[in-house]
Amino acid sequence: MMTSNTVKENSMITKKDLNKVALRSLSMEWSWNYERQANLPYCYALIPIINKLYKTDEERAEAMKRHLEFFNTTPHLSTLLLGISTAMEEQNATEENFDTSSINNIKIALMGPLAGIGDSFIWGTLRIIATGIGISLARQGNILGPILFLLVFNIPAQGLRFFLMNAGYKLGAEFLTKIEKSGLMESLTYGAAVLGLMVIGGMTAENVSINIPIAIGSGDEATTIGDICNGIMPGLLPLAFTFVVFFLLRKNFKTTTILLLMAVLGLAGAFFGFLG
Amino acid sequence: MLQAILLALVAMLGNAEYLFGTCLLSRPLVMGTLTGIVLGDISMGVTLGATLELAFMGAFSVGASIPPEMISGTVLGTAFAITTGTGAEAALALGLPIASLVLIFKNLSMVFILPMFVHKADKYAAVGNYKGVERMHLLGGFFGVNLIIGVIVGVSFYLGSPVIQGILDMIPAWVQKGLELTMGLLPAIGFGLLMQMIMNKNVACFFFLGFALSTYLKIPVTGIAIFGAIVAIVLVQIKNQNKHAVETAGVSEGDEDDDF
Repeated sequence: MMTSNTVKENSMITKKDLNKVALRSLSMEWSWNYERQANLPYCYALIPIINKLYKTDEERAEAMKRHLEFFNTTPHLSTLLLGISTAMEEQNATEENFDTSSINNIKIALMGPLAGIGDSFIWGTLRIIATGIGISLARQGNILGPILFLLVFNIPAQGLRFFLMNAGYKLGAEFLTKIEKSGLMESLTYGAAVLGLMVIGGMTAENVSINIPIAIGSGDEATTIGDICNGIMPGLLPLAFTFVVFFLLRKNFKTTTILLLMAVLGLAGAFFGFLG
Repeated sequence: MLQAILLALVAMLGNAEYLFGTCLLSRPLVMGTLTGIVLGDISMGVTLGATLELAFMGAFSVGASIPPEMISGTVLGTAFAITTGTGAEAALALGLPIASLVLIFKNLSMVFILPMFVHKADKYAAVGNYKGVERMHLLGGFFGVNLIIGVIVGVSFYLGSPVIQGILDMIPAWVQKGLELTMGLLPAIGFGLLMQMIMNKNVACFFFLGFALSTYLKIPVTGIAIFGAIVAIVLVQIKNQNKHAVETAGVSEGDEDDDF
């Protein structure tokens, strides 16, 4: 399939480039923000690849815009997606009519499940093991406690980061070559949109929370507006709220304005008690 | 004064874990130890760090949830406990409320200040100025969060624990509650932006499928992705078969069905 010492035949991307991206991915949570989460770090990490593949400002602008979209996953595993994005950008750079929307669709489809695995493995398992070892020593005031804590966590976690960068790229490149040969690119784009939207739907249900605890009726009959909504369909309020935001964005409302409105709504909701 | 500056630097180093691979420098175990080193009582720092680590065990970011700001809580809690000669209880009693208070600042920054850097980065990206994008990332993290935490820790230590206690008592409960509620609303922006990007009439129903699978059946996102992948594959197969059927219409009908 692939020769052992080059990452991919006839590829512009070298191992060194991949490691550069992995190194930049270390700052995956540095400019984390509530608007698009880890979008700026993701774009930052991919810039060496973008610069290498595209030579005009217009092409670079397009690529950077793509990767400034919403992103979030367990930071140590983000390189798997960076690797896949690298392979897809390379495909886009070499192929005339590559559908660029598939680059983001694939990224979106995979980031949720990857976070699911990553959060339980990195935060739930590795961190707990490291903390257990660290605390047992630190309780007696032994400075080896914090040192071992850092080593036990970081050697596997950061090792994984570099490994996944290469694995993601290889996986993406192999997969794309196959797809290209069989002429299934259109199907890939469609399939990725289906999968991506289902994941976004699930993540919306898990992450957006809003409840209206205003009581209606009295005594045993008492119920709240939130309960009534959940009776119609669980999660109706978060769903409706997300769509309001979606339509505001469609109407070209600035995200800053929406952020401010949300803060006002949250504070007023707490003060007057109509949200809870 | 010197100690206040050093502690500010310790806090900034802790927050810099987000620049250095989310390597857990910010955990109480490490922050407590470094605070102990600055104040000349290493073993006390390590011990208090271990105590606070246990208290903050459940505090780590999953998805879009941000844990209490442990750095300021640990550094100040440990520092006040060491300088006043009180024990772990004092470190906890001050550390926990400080952590929730500073979280408010951190959240405000991630809601208002950091998005400004992101918008500026959008502008640079639109003209292909990659250096500008890089600069927004690096400066955003520094001015948006890192420096703020450093200043809060340095100034608070300089003012001393009675003043800080006074400030903690002044924050009304509804402000904290209100910000908590806001955090629940904010992810809608990210998802709204994503929907704008991929949603069209042909695939819109799948958003609702994912949502309903989560709310009705309580399937976690990984499970939804598995079902989603299967649905996507099946649909692609059907689409291609239809295409294939049209192309070879009347030639070899029925053959494919045997595979089922």
